[in-house]
Amino acid sequence: MEFYTKPGEYDAINYVPHTESHGTKELWKTFWLLLGITVLDFVIYFVMPASGFRNFIFIFFGLVKAYYIVGAFMHLKHEKINLALVILVPMIFVLGLISGLLYEGSALEVMKSM
Amino acid sequence: MANHTSTQASFENQPTWAGGRSPFNVSYGKLMMWIFLLSDAFTFSSLLVQYGTQRFSNVVTPITTKWPDPASIFNHFPLMHGLHLPLLFVSVMTFILILSSVTMVLAVEAGHRKSKAEVSRYMVYTIIGGVAFLSCQAWEWYTFIHEGARLDGNTFGITKQGYDHLKSVGFGSHFEWADGDRTFGPVPFAALFFIVTGFHGFHVFSGVVINVVVYIMTVRGVFERRGHYEMIEKAGLYWHFVDLVWVFVFTFFYLI
Repeated sequence: MEFYTKPGEYDAINYVPHTESHGTKELWKTFWLLLGITVLDFVIYFVMPASGFRNFIFIFFGLVKAYYIVGAFMHLKHEKINLALVILVPMIFVLGLISGLLYEGSALEVMKSM
Repeated sequence: MANHTSTQASFENQPTWAGGRSPFNVSYGKLMMWIFLLSDAFTFSSLLVQYGTQRFSNVVTPITTKWPDPASIFNHFPLMHGLHLPLLFVSVMTFILILSSVTMVLAVEAGHRKSKAEVSRYMVYTIIGGVAFLSCQAWEWYTFIHEGARLDGNTFGITKQGYDHLKSVGFGSHFEWADGDRTFGPVPFAALFFIVTGFHGFHVFSGVVINVVVYIMTVRGVFERRGHYEMIEKAGLYWHFVDLVWVFVFTFFYLI
């Protein structure tokens, strides 16, 4: 079967840096970490009564999980820092949008009950 | 066979990426996958920010909210009728997705070692995980719709107890109290659940299709002839992104 790749042609497109296996140790470590945090989520959900602090814990755990998925599974930790910044820095705008629109959401609530 | 020539050898003489080398030391395809995932992250962010805004516009006090409590709605488990089991089923779904992420990353690792047999084996595991997750989501949707949730309507509200508390803190007259011990909560609750989990489920479905295609290519020896298994990495990036989105769906739709 022939796909668009023909060695010697379109090399600008088909250039692939040489990669080596770093073993599966880090991957399994990440798996147990993700599983552990999810179990911890589950436990906290039933042990702690609902509160703003509990929500903070859940969001913090979510960000930790995101860090390990992007860093280890998606390998971004081992890529060039330039690439990591190109991907991560634009997400700052999302943080701005979140804080802005949550504030507006609360204002909407106040307006509705006026 | 000439096809065994690595593309790396000829790279030296080519004006790759116009500047003579790859800017980020990744291939063109992988960088483009990253850029696509960035735009996809914006898509999901916009959906989740919309969810947050709707939810914040239904908060009365930091703890009491007119937003229905997920624990009282997503509390079913297959074959366990009438039991109150919040969070359990969705935790199983999360476990399935994490597990399929691991098999995916093991396929990528096997690809680095150019082990065709292992790559195809782990790809099969990943596809099974994806299909299992989709089946779980179908059951979740079925249960939710069966209980009256619609895109344009929401039968879930707060309990009588919650209503009385809201009344005592004075929430205004815009809130309708229906007969029985349940209110009809904000419509966006059901709509956003369908849109966000539906959009995520669609991504899982596309991921499964991509994985199947990549698996067939592996089995037919396309990557073996190409000399590298980078396509597995690109499919893997997409698959992990789906897992990443689920982390936030899980947090905001079920935990909080």
